[in-house]
Amino acid sequence: MRYIKQLLFLFIAVVLFTACSSEIKSTDWVINEVMVVNETNFVDDFGQRNGWIEIYNTTAKTQDLGGRYLTNDPDNPTKYAIPRGDVLTSIKPHQHALFFADEMPFNGTFHLNFKLDPTQENYIALYDNDGKTLLDEMVIPAGIAADQTYGFAQDGVKHNEKGNIIATTLKRVTPSSNNAVLEENPKIKALAESDPWGGMLTITSMLVVFGGLILLFLAFRLSGSIAKSMTQKKVAQSGTLSAARSHSHLSGEVLAAISAAINELKEDQHDIESTILTINQVKRNFSPWSTKRQSLRELPR
Amino acid sequence: MNTLLSLADNLSKFWSYTGFFNAEIGHIVMILIGLVFIYLAIKKEYEPLLLIPIGFGILIGNIPFNEAANLQVGIYEEGSVFNILYQGVVKGWYPPLIFLGIGAMTDFSALIANPKLILIGAAAQFGIFGAYIIALQMGFAPNEAGAIGIIGGADGPTAIFLTSKLAPHLLGAVAISAYSYMALVPVIQPPFMRMLTTPKERVIKMKTPRVVSQTEKIMFPIMGLLMTAFLVPSGLALLGMLFFGNLLKESGVTRRLAETARGPLVDTITILLGLTVGASTQATTFLRVESVKIFAIGALSFVIATCTGILFVKLMNLFLKKGDKINPLVGNAGVSAVPDAARISQTTGLEYDPSNYLLMHAMGPNVAGVIGSAVAAGIMLGFLY
Repeated sequence: MRYIKQLLFLFIAVVLFTACSSEIKSTDWVINEVMVVNETNFVDDFGQRNGWIEIYNTTAKTQDLGGRYLTNDPDNPTKYAIPRGDVLTSIKPHQHALFFADEMPFNGTFHLNFKLDPTQENYIALYDNDGKTLLDEMVIPAGIAADQTYGFAQDGVKHNEKGNIIATTLKRVTPSSNNAVLEENPKIKALAESDPWGGMLTITSMLVVFGGLILLFLAFRLSGSIAKSMTQKKVAQSGTLSAARSHSHLSGEVLAAISAAINELKEDQHDIESTILTINQVKRNFSPWSTKRQSLRELPR
Repeated sequence: MNTLLSLADNLSKFWSYTGFFNAEIGHIVMILIGLVFIYLAIKKEYEPLLLIPIGFGILIGNIPFNEAANLQVGIYEEGSVFNILYQGVVKGWYPPLIFLGIGAMTDFSALIANPKLILIGAAAQFGIFGAYIIALQMGFAPNEAGAIGIIGGADGPTAIFLTSKLAPHLLGAVAISAYSYMALVPVIQPPFMRMLTTPKERVIKMKTPRVVSQTEKIMFPIMGLLMTAFLVPSGLALLGMLFFGNLLKESGVTRRLAETARGPLVDTITILLGLTVGASTQATTFLRVESVKIFAIGALSFVIATCTGILFVKLMNLFLKKGDKINPLVGNAGVSAVPDAARISQTTGLEYDPSNYLLMHAMGPNVAGVIGSAVAAGIMLGFLY
């Protein structure tokens, strides 16, 4: 019963720790920044100015955009298939890909077959290779001024703490680069301001260290108790001297003294050696992985 | 005459490339420090496996040369041999490999047999956070303070791993400080152990630990990984390798792999790590006021860790039954300098009772300290990286 209680406690502790960690998961790709009207801004490789769409790889791994679909039509998710096999669609961790909405798909991988319309709301979506799974979408309100962009202030961060989408007109236009210029680590800056003495971090960290090691302590206390009781059962069933010990609760030293005395008595009495000679083959288990002999090969002659 | 002038010109040019020409007082100071390390390792046998490579590395790193000549010999010159070897430190992949070896050579039986000793390993981590607070007050930024604080974990690989992420510019000072104090554990700890314990406490005899079954030993790395890494995933590199190494050892079916991990592999990495950390202490980057401050905080962190470990045992004893009491002399072993800290518990205990062998009991908190400092490093990484 005690074990069950301890097991239950451990289970609850694990569940609580797991439950505390749930939060909104971000997708691997985010439509990060969009320019609808480009009059004096970024020029493409043909010297043209067009609206553009920036997609951000939110993960810590290099991902390929090839084979996915970009569209501005909710009824046609596969409107523009991003070509496969172009090394440039392989986007590094936390980096960007920039697509020009110029309706000139034959100008290259990054030129879409649609344009953005400044007179109305623009819907943009990115679909997975199956053309059905929506990876990300964004609605750009009508009336965004020329040479201004709409997107997220922090790269790939779509939601605020309440879970609301936080897309907005951005202060700076940053094609193919970070929307927020990080001059210093925000975590460290916030910590320096909120906890200048380091007391809170210390208390939090020590709680976590103790929490982790207390979990280990409980786990091994429990497994130790189970192991001990199982061993005692086995020993009790064996009918050996150890079984006598477990029944009598004599200390190891006392039993050792008794054993030594019995042995001495037997040594004095016996006249036949107890050694056994055998011709039986002694078995040694080995595998090709644990023996050198198996891995040696004959040299060619 | 022209030939002579040309010869003199060539010799003069050559002279400008020599170490004698480029030497500064800082180089000489660092070379002397390197020689002291080598002396301590050979004469006093303080952590020779670490101090010899580090000491010689300091000599290598402080051979003066003409940096403008682009000879590609310096550890900070991209593409040089030492720079390539140093990448294991900078990118932080030497320390997890060392942890693999530590896992494969560590017997956690003492901990499994008496799991309450794990808590002492947690208490000793106050050294890390005490040093963090002190470093903040001395004007270091939080990330730098975190890197300096980890010296208190008394775990060289962890200190290097964390510093390479949080404050790479302090790597040399933090690594040298951590390893120096690890080597000086026999000097630092005993006075505080005596100061904080009574004669009666020093002779407490602890129960002989029970025999631990093979199944329990196999379960330990699996459960240990799952519990600690789920809690602090940022410590995965260290914890994962530590417990993986231990499973290789305890599984009983991967003897060759375990032997490689705790033998040739860990030796190779120790050589490369020690040598390159030593070589990274070029006088121009190392001899600064910050380094002196780091050394001072490092010493304090070891003292705090030792004291909190001992005091925590005393606190635990208030709640333990008479026969279950723990000798406070094992409290110092909560710092993870394995096995030196445990050995100090043993020798100090024997001074007061020649029949009281504390080594096996001290190994419990000692290995718990390794886990605790890896967890603490993971937390620091989570908050400050």
